Amino acid sequence: MASKNAKAANPRVRAIVSLVVILVLVAAVGYVALNGIGKGTMINYVKPWGEAISLGLDLRGGVYTVYQAEDDGSEDFETKMASTVSILTSRLTRQGFTEATVTRQGTDRIRVEIPNVSDPNEILRIIGTPAQLNFVDEDGNVLMEGSMVKNAQAAQDENGRPCVAFELTDEGAKIFGEATAANLGKTISITLDGEVISTATVNTVIAGGRGEITSPNFTVDEVKNLSTLILSGALPLTLSQLEVSAISATLGVEALERAVQAGVIGVLLVMLFMIFRYRLCGVVADIALTIYMLIVVLLLVLTGAQLTLPGVAGIILGIGMAVDANVVIFERIREEVAIGRPLGSAIRKGFSNALSAIIDANITTIIAAVVLYAFGTGTIRGFALTLGIGVVTSMFTAVFVTHKLLDIFADLGFKNQKLYVR
Amino acid sequence: MKFEMKNHLKPCATVSIAIMVIALVMTLTGHGMNLGIDFTGGTLMTYNMGAQFEVADIEAALASSGVTDAQIAKTGEENTQVQIRISDKENTDDLRDALETALAETYPDIAYVDISRVGAVAGRDLISNAVKSVALASILMLLYIAVRFDFYSGLAAVIGLVHDVAIMLSFVVIFSSLIRVETTFIAALLTIVGYSINNTIIIFDRIRENSHKAGVRSKTREEIVNLSVTESLPRTLNTTITTLLTIVTLYVLGVDSIKQFALPLIVGILAGTYSANLINGYVWAALMDLRTARRKAKAKA
Repeated sequence: MASKNAKAANPRVRAIVSLVVILVLVAAVGYVALNGIGKGTMINYVKPWGEAISLGLDLRGGVYTVYQAEDDGSEDFETKMASTVSILTSRLTRQGFTEATVTRQGTDRIRVEIPNVSDPNEILRIIGTPAQLNFVDEDGNVLMEGSMVKNAQAAQDENGRPCVAFELTDEGAKIFGEATAANLGKTISITLDGEVISTATVNTVIAGGRGEITSPNFTVDEVKNLSTLILSGALPLTLSQLEVSAISATLGVEALERAVQAGVIGVLLVMLFMIFRYRLCGVVADIALTIYMLIVVLLLVLTGAQLTLPGVAGIILGIGMAVDANVVIFERIREEVAIGRPLGSAIRKGFSNALSAIIDANITTIIAAVVLYAFGTGTIRGFALTLGIGVVTSMFTAVFVTHKLLDIFADLGFKNQKLYVR
Repeated sequence: MKFEMKNHLKPCATVSIAIMVIALVMTLTGHGMNLGIDFTGGTLMTYNMGAQFEVADIEAALASSGVTDAQIAKTGEENTQVQIRISDKENTDDLRDALETALAETYPDIAYVDISRVGAVAGRDLISNAVKSVALASILMLLYIAVRFDFYSGLAAVIGLVHDVAIMLSFVVIFSSLIRVETTFIAALLTIVGYSINNTIIIFDRIRENSHKAGVRSKTREEIVNLSVTESLPRTLNTTITTLLTIVTLYVLGVDSIKQFALPLIVGILAGTYSANLINGYVWAALMDLRTARRKAKAKA
């Protein structure tokens, strides 16, 4: 008798434990997502997820411009494009615009985005100046100009650290030999647009026209960029401005606030509708939807995807569409219950019936998202990414989370079919 | 009494085609879409004038810089912002300086809000990319459905999605005073491509299932479609409702650029629900019947 009771109670106990674990987990992750961990001054501080998402220009304000590179027909056009991008990037970084992005667009275009700048004319000021490389002595006198450098490439110094190995023109070799002789025991610095990037003590006279630029802090990427920069103080390609646009920060902030507000209200409406329509199943769908939203936001943070205004709209639209898989499943379960199947087997049968439709429907949407991502630029691309993340996540939450939760509720002893179907 | 779907393909197709024809005629007679500068190229500048202002003042300031073809619109909550759109695609930095100086005399609080300049090449690329993405997405989906279902299902589904896209385009033509076509419209179009196929597949999945069911197999294709659409109806309607709940909220509360994105989406979602239930399945049945008839005729000959 006792053992029979224990058997009957066991699945229910397990179900209660599972449900509590899931709810506590969702609540805890939700709390972290909204509030972060700790305070801003702590070392282990984790930002609220909302703040960790990188925002597109249209939401934070800034300027962007698209340059058309003139194809000079040379064979190394590809290399020149790559080095143009890296030169533009380092120019922006050096001027303190660390959040600026420079990306290739198609084969011969370059898109530059600079947040927190309001005047498009700034772009020209910021990136229009060629980098000027100089070798200077301790008093700041220019010993030699960067144009004397014949070749520069990433290499390793004797300690195996990344450095830039350079080779000078014949004239440069002569000048540099004299300069090192005059500055023995003192330091020579290399400056880029007036800023010191590397300082070395002259230990020997360098007469062969070869040398190394070292710094204890160099990374492999840095030395690559630096060698590109040294080689081409000026951009290797002629650029013309195709389009330029500026969005004021206030406009972006307002757009985001109102979209988030709309999102919150939209989610609440959807949740209420689901409970009204599907009762206990609606509650299940709402928990799954909460998990869906947490995963989508987390993926946005982890992938570093830029959230644009259409992206926000895509997420909000995705919430409406994410419950679709749940709706398909619940309707299938309702049909099975209607023909007299017991609840447990109706849930199983409903799921397997719904699965093919859910998979086919979502894969076709993923096709749309991938095409959009491949062809789109800027804001469109951000939208495609959020759409894709949304579809994949909603498929996951519907197939795994909803299924698990329904089983739990069935095990809990909510056997009354009226609770599940109208 | 239980509701059952019937075949209304002819009247429905007539209504849809009529809408498309109206839009086509409007476009051909010069009342086409209201294309934003993303597509046409040009410059769009927004200034906050800081006070009520006269459009004539702006026109005068522009004219003194040699610009006479500008479109000037009052915007902002209190109509104190001005939006100036000019077709000039060249560098406009000089014009801006001149304009700001000229207007600052009358309106000392003038503040620049935003500016965008798009070259004509960029606009053309945008359109060709949009066409390419819709075409490529359609072909890929057709292939996928042809593999998972049958070729005619794929064809019918793509006809349905072309219908939805055409209805959306017709809507922005007919209501060009309400909707300005921006880059985001392409995103809206592609979303509907996905959404439309989504709806269609749920129903085609039913058709596929019912076609193999004992007792249903003997029915005509049209009857199978009737049954499948009817069975899928609760799902179709509920999903449409949840999707509309979010997108309508977004439309009501969003800023202008969100509204420009949300409104075509709402139209597309409605068109998608309409075509999935009333058109696509019946197009599939008609195509299959046509094939069967042709095969029979061949066998006889």
